[in-house]
Amino acid sequence: MQAIETVKETVRPGQGVASSGFVRRALGHRSFMIGLVLTGTMIILALVSLVWTPHSPTEIVIAERLKLPSPGHWLGTDQFGRDILSMIMAGAQTSIVVGLIAVSLGAAVGISLGLWAAARRGWTEDVIMRLSDLNLAFPVILIAILLTAGWGPGITNAILALGIYNISVFARQVRGAGIAMWEREFVLAARAAGKGNLAITIEHILPNIISIIVVQATISFAIAILAEAALSYLGVGSQPPNPSWGRMLSESQNYIFLTPIIAVWPGLAIVLSVLGLNLIGDGLRDLVDPRLARRR
Amino acid sequence: MALLSVTGLTVELQTSRGMVPAVRGVSFDLEKGGTLGVVGESGCGKSITALAIMGLLPDGARTTGRVDLDGTDLLTLDEAARCGIRGNRIAMIFQEPMTSLNPVHRIGRQIAEPLRLHRGLRGANARDEVLRLLDRVGLPDPARRINAYPHQMSGGQRQRVMIAMALSCAPDILLADEPTTALDVTIQGQILDLINELVDDTGMGLILISHDLGVIGETTENVAVMYGGTVVEQGATDRLFAKLAHPYSQGLFAAIPRLGEARRGPLPTIAGTVPELADFPPGCAFADRCAKATDVCWRLSPRMQRIGPAHRAACHHLADGQGKAMA
Repeated sequence: MQAIETVKETVRPGQGVASSGFVRRALGHRSFMIGLVLTGTMIILALVSLVWTPHSPTEIVIAERLKLPSPGHWLGTDQFGRDILSMIMAGAQTSIVVGLIAVSLGAAVGISLGLWAAARRGWTEDVIMRLSDLNLAFPVILIAILLTAGWGPGITNAILALGIYNISVFARQVRGAGIAMWEREFVLAARAAGKGNLAITIEHILPNIISIIVVQATISFAIAILAEAALSYLGVGSQPPNPSWGRMLSESQNYIFLTPIIAVWPGLAIVLSVLGLNLIGDGLRDLVDPRLARRR
Repeated sequence: MALLSVTGLTVELQTSRGMVPAVRGVSFDLEKGGTLGVVGESGCGKSITALAIMGLLPDGARTTGRVDLDGTDLLTLDEAARCGIRGNRIAMIFQEPMTSLNPVHRIGRQIAEPLRLHRGLRGANARDEVLRLLDRVGLPDPARRINAYPHQMSGGQRQRVMIAMALSCAPDILLADEPTTALDVTIQGQILDLINELVDDTGMGLILISHDLGVIGETTENVAVMYGGTVVEQGATDRLFAKLAHPYSQGLFAAIPRLGEARRGPLPTIAGTVPELADFPPGCAFADRCAKATDVCWRLSPRMQRIGPAHRAACHHLADGQGKAMA
């Protein structure tokens, strides 16, 4: 009887492979769920704003300027009498679009370079990694300002700057995980079966490091939202009249002693969405590595 | 002409202490359908020899000598040509069946991989072939197991999957690097029986690498004993086992515990440990652990000498001591 139980124990599924157990563990992970709710709210706000906002986010009504929250304007109005809730909702679009494109761009190029470096090693790896170091030596803000100097301010340059920065982030992460994966026996077995480097990279390396990439993408998304706000605040990101949380913040600072509440709303939106994504990222890291979760 | 002929193979590996020789002039032949056992303790170069034949040495390794497959020197081929040989004409199975399969893919897909790569089989054709292979290696209920993930199988089952994968393209040679070491004894026997049976049925050649003399003795016709990156003794398995010539082989055999024999004192061992690869003496690799070593052993590398039909050994002292008494 005992022997049968031992066998059961050894063939039990697990090993970080996504299974129904993943959903159950995710539901029980409190901070992951909080993150999911926060991020979900932000996404829903952005989606709803595509078809409906309480007022037009760009409509200027001078008579209504700098109003405190009221039934007509739930979050009040800004210095031009625009409805702040509508602007926050529309601003979520900007944040999500910038984050999504910047992370996708960085991930697509960075993952390819990282996988290439891990597969080839030698001078290919050296060149890729040194270029990546060079790239990381330039802060995002500096890259954005350089691009702005060349092509003028605009949301595209903010996206590009963030994307370029993310290339290095993903390349480093993927290279490290990829090199460790290349040392595994099943890769040697695949090579012994006659598979080339490209096939091994796509079929064996990438699927085994996908969880690391997903975690990194979530965290990078949060960083991108924060960076977009910073760039817009500095005036090198989203341009008027496009609503943006960062620019709302910078415009409201002139009225901070008059109506401090108008600076609170965009700040809160930024904090909560970044917090939400970070909680999801941390939660995913726990969930894909059950050993780590148990230690906490 | 031999199917596979390894001649004067040397392999140097890159380490923190510079290039160190891991294999130093290994030569052996494998006839079509022949079986060769390579035996020796950890670090004697037997696995590196296998990887050199496959062309899967770690980065920075330097290889000299020849590895001829049907008269073509594999060491001169480019990577693309070698990919076409690996898994197709020479297949390999490894020591750790628990880690030799990719955890994220179903085993059916993994077995189908060489078929797709070398035979161009896809879809239902590939699936039928995989089912046939799984049945052939004795995995119960192949139709269900084909969709299993590696973690749902036991070590013995996974090794059967690895063997099915190796067999998929009907290779000329199967290289088995310690295929049963990680398995428990009853499963070990089953896997060896399976390998033997497959060799008999398909006529493929087998190179079986092991530190287990019992495994080698039961499975292969010929045997090469390796020490310190060289072959110290080789010959037909029955002749070699009957008359051990090299002091290292004698030591290895003396160190096997025997069941049912009254224990008279401690189990004999070979004194000392295997030196670091970089520290081997210039003469005989075994000199510093050998009871019979004399000045000449430290200075000169012994040559392979014929000591009987299909039996050769490399030692300066074959003619005296126990070697002489047995001769």
